[in-house]
Amino acid sequence: MLADNEVLKIENLSIAFGGLKAVDNLSFEIKKNEIFGLIGPNGAGKTTVFNCITQFYKPNDGRILFRTKEGSETNLVDHKVHEIIKLGLVRTFQNVELIRELSILDNVMIGAHIDFKATILEQALRLPRARKEEKALRAEAEEILKRLGIWERKDMLVFGQPYGILKKVEMARTLMCRPSLIILDEPAAGLNDVETLQLAQLIRTIRDEFDCAVLLVEHDMRLVMDVCDRICAISFGKFLAKDTAKEIQKNKAVQEAYLGSSEEIHHV
Amino acid sequence: MKKVNLKTPSFNLKTLSKNPYLQFILFGLVLSTLPILASQFSFIKSAYITTIGVTLIYAIAALGLNLLLGWSGLISLGTAGFMGLASYISAYLTVDMGLPFEVAILAAILVPTFIGVLVGLVSLKIEGLYLAIATLAVSEILRKTFEEFEAFTGAFSGKAASFPVLFNSIQLDRATMYYFIVFVLIIIMLITYNLVNGQMGRALNAMRGSEAAAQAMGVNLLKYRLVAFALATIFASVSGVLYVHFIRYSYPSSWTLKLSLDFLAMIVIGGVRSIYGTVLGAFIVFAVPDLFLKQIPYFSQLSYTLNGILIILVIMFYPNGIVMIFRDIKNVFLKLFKKGNGNHVS
Amino acid sequence: MSTFIQILLRSLESGSVYALAALGIIIIYRTSNITNFSQGVVGMFNTYVVTYLFMKTGAPLWLCILGGVVSAILVGLTIDFLVIRHTKKVAPVAKQIITLGLIMVVMGIAPILFGVDPLNLPRLINDGNLTLLEANISYNGLFNIVFGLVLMFVLFYVLQNTKVGLAVRTTASNEYTARLMGVPTKTVTLGAWAVAGVLGVLSGVMIAPTTSVTLNLMDVVQINALIACVLGGFQTFYGPIIGAYLIGVSRNLLIYYVSSVWGGQILYILILIFLIFRPYGLIGKKTVKKV
Repeated sequence: MLADNEVLKIENLSIAFGGLKAVDNLSFEIKKNEIFGLIGPNGAGKTTVFNCITQFYKPNDGRILFRTKEGSETNLVDHKVHEIIKLGLVRTFQNVELIRELSILDNVMIGAHIDFKATILEQALRLPRARKEEKALRAEAEEILKRLGIWERKDMLVFGQPYGILKKVEMARTLMCRPSLIILDEPAAGLNDVETLQLAQLIRTIRDEFDCAVLLVEHDMRLVMDVCDRICAISFGKFLAKDTAKEIQKNKAVQEAYLGSSEEIHHV
Repeated sequence: MKKVNLKTPSFNLKTLSKNPYLQFILFGLVLSTLPILASQFSFIKSAYITTIGVTLIYAIAALGLNLLLGWSGLISLGTAGFMGLASYISAYLTVDMGLPFEVAILAAILVPTFIGVLVGLVSLKIEGLYLAIATLAVSEILRKTFEEFEAFTGAFSGKAASFPVLFNSIQLDRATMYYFIVFVLIIIMLITYNLVNGQMGRALNAMRGSEAAAQAMGVNLLKYRLVAFALATIFASVSGVLYVHFIRYSYPSSWTLKLSLDFLAMIVIGGVRSIYGTVLGAFIVFAVPDLFLKQIPYFSQLSYTLNGILIILVIMFYPNGIVMIFRDIKNVFLKLFKKGNGNHVS
Repeated sequence: MSTFIQILLRSLESGSVYALAALGIIIIYRTSNITNFSQGVVGMFNTYVVTYLFMKTGAPLWLCILGGVVSAILVGLTIDFLVIRHTKKVAPVAKQIITLGLIMVVMGIAPILFGVDPLNLPRLINDGNLTLLEANISYNGLFNIVFGLVLMFVLFYVLQNTKVGLAVRTTASNEYTARLMGVPTKTVTLGAWAVAGVLGVLSGVMIAPTTSVTLNLMDVVQINALIACVLGGFQTFYGPIIGAYLIGVSRNLLIYYVSSVWGGQILYILILIFLIFRPYGLIGKKTVKKV
């Protein structure tokens, strides 16, 4: 059961590949309009966790309760991967998976795919409903591009754009469907300090202006501590700790997982 | 004196040239003038009309393949088989069963498309080169059936058909059939343009570019794969019907792997994901040997070979399709033009 | 029972033809990363060379075949040197079109050099039958089967146990890395095209006596060789060989016992159904994409 202020709740999530348990009995919950961080050393299973949430992998065990855009509650495990976005959950990709031969605007409009109701026949003959939808969604896409500050590039091809711009395009794409939860997959990877600060601002904008919760899966500790309301730390697929950013930093178990035991460091 | 504004906003040449629909219609009109030119100028032999007509027919099938390969990223080597199947069905229904052309065309589209959709279902499990050769196997099954199923296809003797009768009253002849082909081609080009520039086009592009991202964006891969295969087969079937009612004969030996490869060549050479490029590719692969290379003395026998060399050269120097050559020409012109302007200003 | 063995033996013969052609295709595929649609047509061309030599010079057949082998090597080297070598930056789909261009070049030249009339190529061993378990097989057929197997065995031995073979396997695995490690990949691809050409002419010479030498001589072989590669899997060198023999045997069995008219089609349908369950062939492996 989801509490009123919760948007996602993972209960006893487990998945194994071959004999290896990648995620082991993990539980946490994300509140509405919260920026929630998921951290852990390399190989901890962070990517696997959210691939399970988005049903790219089917978990072996556990429930993933989600509050849909309409307000009802559902277990994501019961859905197929391409249905997840309809419920209001989107993700970004670490290897920015944009379509190189298309323009930035077209790439963003792919995010609105589920909002198109016109049938293929209507599109083929360019009947009024198809034209109206196209126009409306195009306007919405341009609006989002403006808010993220890259509207001028809307007709440029994705191919050859700088990395920071591509990240913003991807973000814009996820915002098109007005999600209630966005999962960001290591968004700071490859960004310099200035860009990371801009990213932090962007994430806060998403929470405040787009009325959305954010699950941030990230390595860059400064970004995580700067921007997250609460953080969950995992190691070897198992739950380590869950607390506010401040408290997590002081957590002994988390320090050990990242840095080795404090004893060792002291004696060096 | 009051100055008269000769330029009314909606009708100047600029708007005309920018509207893609008008461009397609203009293109159709240009194609339609060819038979007239043929009757006036003797160096354009009327046999050329047949060649150009078949080229346009092939372009229709190639557009279908472009939707499948260029936009959706799915290889098929089965186009020839489906085209052949449609040709036989239409011939049989109009000649042997005396059904009207419109009924024949419907059946000739539905049956191959059903098989095409089955192949689409299979494409979820089989991918890449394996899928390509699986489609080749389907095409070969059809071709062998054409050879054996004598009652329906006339086996090696082939199947005859005639120029169609539209709406049970208008009997077409070779020239009017040509216009009909142009008409159908332009409609197909228009429909393709609408589809690939709208939501379906974006979905297909997403499917081709990144299946994971497409799924995350809500694109149902199964649905769009089936749609891609269905459209490709529909276009190939239309192409087959037009073929058998223009050439008025269909032989099993027409529907080989070689023809399927020709369609592949047409879109690769002309430019994948380019509508005009596909038509251009059809001309290069099919029409050029007949129309031009055969005219050059001493080379007429080598026309096939020269065409092969041309294809190889185009791939090596224009891997993105020869339609890129227009972009290069445009760039050259822009450079020259800019130089000229620069001189004027200073 | 004897009919069954008869069919089996016949099938091994046609299986040899398909196997040699399939091996030619897989060698090129794994070293140059191209699906060579022109394998059959080039084999046809070189078979014409053999036939022409035989008709015009009256030399013994085996010598003409040797001439054909030389011609095949030269043609293969030329193709790699003039064309394939310069296609590094070309997209994979476009590369297949290049082989289509090759088909057109060869189909254009062949009638000019050799005329359009069907020619006849006799068998290597003209007379004599062997009786095995109440079944008949011609000495020629037996020779074809044995020769094919020996040739393939030799090639596999070279592949697995020699330095040359190691160079080929490394290039097949990853051309870029192979080059970085000092493997002479350019020579490997040259050699691959030459060997593929030889395999092509040998399969052509085996099948020619059963029909006549025409432009379409190798069309069926080409298609069955491709399907053999799909059936056996493009991941290994020996997969397509197994696929080829399976096709040869199943085809004849189906044609004789099930339907002489629809046997071929039924075989393809069965293969398609098989592919649905094993989409990477008999001996194939799937690669999982990580996101």
